[in-house]
Amino acid sequence: MNVLFFHLMPYAYLDMNYQEKYRTDWVVLPNTYFDPVKGHELYNRYLDELELAAELGFDGISVNEHHQNAYGLMPSPIVMAAALSRRTQNAKIAILGNAFGLREHPLTLAEEHAMIDVITGGRLISGMVRGIGAEYFSFGANPAFSHARFQEAHDLVIEAWTKPGPFAFEGRHYHFEYVNVWPRPYQQPHPPIWCPSLGSTETIEWASHPARRYVYVQNFSPIAAVVRYLNLYRQTAERLHGYTARSEQIGWAAPIYLADSDERAIAEARPHIEALFNKYLTLPFEMLFPPGYLSQQSLRNMRAVRRPSIQGGKVTIEALIETGIFLCGSPDTVRDKLVAAHRALGFQNFLAVLQFATLPGDLTERNLRLFAREVLPALQGLTDKEYAGMEPAATH
Amino acid sequence: MLEETFVELRGAKLNLRRGGKGAPVLFLHGAQGYAGSDPAMDALAQDFTVLAPDHPGFGHSDAFDWIDDVPDLAFLYLDLLAMLGLEDVHVVGHGLGGWTALEMAIRSTARIKSLILAAAAGIRVPGVPRADMFICTPEELARLIFAGDGWQAWNASLTATPELQEIADRNRFQAAKLCWQPRLFNPKLEKWLHRIDRPTRILWGEDDRIIPPAYGARLKELIAGAGLVMLPRTGHLMPVEQPQRFAAEIRRFIREDAA
Repeated sequence: MNVLFFHLMPYAYLDMNYQEKYRTDWVVLPNTYFDPVKGHELYNRYLDELELAAELGFDGISVNEHHQNAYGLMPSPIVMAAALSRRTQNAKIAILGNAFGLREHPLTLAEEHAMIDVITGGRLISGMVRGIGAEYFSFGANPAFSHARFQEAHDLVIEAWTKPGPFAFEGRHYHFEYVNVWPRPYQQPHPPIWCPSLGSTETIEWASHPARRYVYVQNFSPIAAVVRYLNLYRQTAERLHGYTARSEQIGWAAPIYLADSDERAIAEARPHIEALFNKYLTLPFEMLFPPGYLSQQSLRNMRAVRRPSIQGGKVTIEALIETGIFLCGSPDTVRDKLVAAHRALGFQNFLAVLQFATLPGDLTERNLRLFAREVLPALQGLTDKEYAGMEPAATH
Repeated sequence: MLEETFVELRGAKLNLRRGGKGAPVLFLHGAQGYAGSDPAMDALAQDFTVLAPDHPGFGHSDAFDWIDDVPDLAFLYLDLLAMLGLEDVHVVGHGLGGWTALEMAIRSTARIKSLILAAAAGIRVPGVPRADMFICTPEELARLIFAGDGWQAWNASLTATPELQEIADRNRFQAAKLCWQPRLFNPKLEKWLHRIDRPTRILWGEDDRIIPPAYGARLKELIAGAGLVMLPRTGHLMPVEQPQRFAAEIRRFIREDAA
């Protein structure tokens, strides 16, 4: 299994009383809440943590894109990937992902990804995402065209990376007279494409298409949803597309905290993981799902299963552990859960979110080192031999 | 009561409510959809032949996937007037519908007799912010869109049944498609408003918190000979909040200034 350390780079100094005045830390929270001097310290600390993970033997390190918020301070993950490319030797650098379709000119990102790939001699993993709903407010991109622009931007970028230029691109949303990207990517035909998602049937159908076979990564979800969507990928490949998906095509991303005992891990992680869900991820329904972000069918499903907001009620660490969103405890506890999940689901990619919200530097470093020593080797040794295969019940 | 009919246009079906007798009035609804504006239409139908479509993708009309923006919508309605053989049409537009009426009129007034613009979108007055209907919760939007206390009943009516919830979702999607970016206006519209050569009446709620009255004043400056009437104790959703007053203003304008 490939195991990557995934960083969100949160603004850890967020004034936790902001909710007295603002409903969310996305889009509407004034940027005066950000202190550049503290930001300087955080960016450098977070880059150190990513570099440490590369030294500790993780297969890769990963960054992502979010805008106008305190949850993740990387409007451009390219900047971080560039900084990391010269400070690491072997680790993959995974940008999970960039929202190509939010751009008026997606080729600027295609150029930058190609540069990172060439600088690192082919260590780049390119994530392609639509961005979360809030980003359609901060970018001004029309969510009604979200799926269509995402797919067309993808087609443009793949053509730009694989087809000799110059050529004209004639799409519905993008029209360019000269497509001729210099440099071309180092990896041929192009860097691996991953599609992280919070769970989307449309994304799975698209990513699993035989012409693409992209890696689908289920993010930050209850284990029930992880089971559902990772199995859905295999089922979709089998039934809709007529081929058997490889386990390398699926992945899972989850926050993890380790300490020498379950009790200590829970006590240490509590304020930080609860802040992640109660302070940093407080998105009203309207901002999470602007019109068109979800298909009419997905919107219907969402209304059937969920309250119309992930905001509101306080989430506790106990509930997060219980539902399997958060893996927390002694190395034995967490290793057993991951090995059991792998046996059931067979994912060959795992993203460990070992820093979250306000988790401070000393605890993050200890978490990273414990994970690398006690859990990482066991995961890296897992192959399809340990995967039980899809239960017959799951294929119906 | 208007009669529900469907007309086939450019390969898709438009839900067109029709009723009444007299000079033709085309009513173009706002971003919230047609829902709830029947009393105003019934009042107008006493004196005019009313045609009130659901815009493409709204209500019971087909989606017309090729319609990307309000100028596309304006051409569709010019085609509709031609297809129905209508002339001397009084075009009444509210909000998004007012914007559509403006886009029609700068393209051709050949079949248009007059324009009535109620709290119309379409232009931007620099430095005068409007409310963002997309970032609000449904309850916040309902509070903002009314001056008085009708908002609760109206808000509840929008999603009273699963079918209405479905329509509310369709309306919201189509409103985003047409209005999201640039939000609720066309930067090119203003420079062509001098082409409007028909009597124009602008109606605005004094308490409109979605598109503030300054937008009405600016439209009056931009459209030659246009008159502006302010309605007291009225919010943005004028046809729902003040249906009789709304209909009466239209009737008065058409009789006195645009007959």
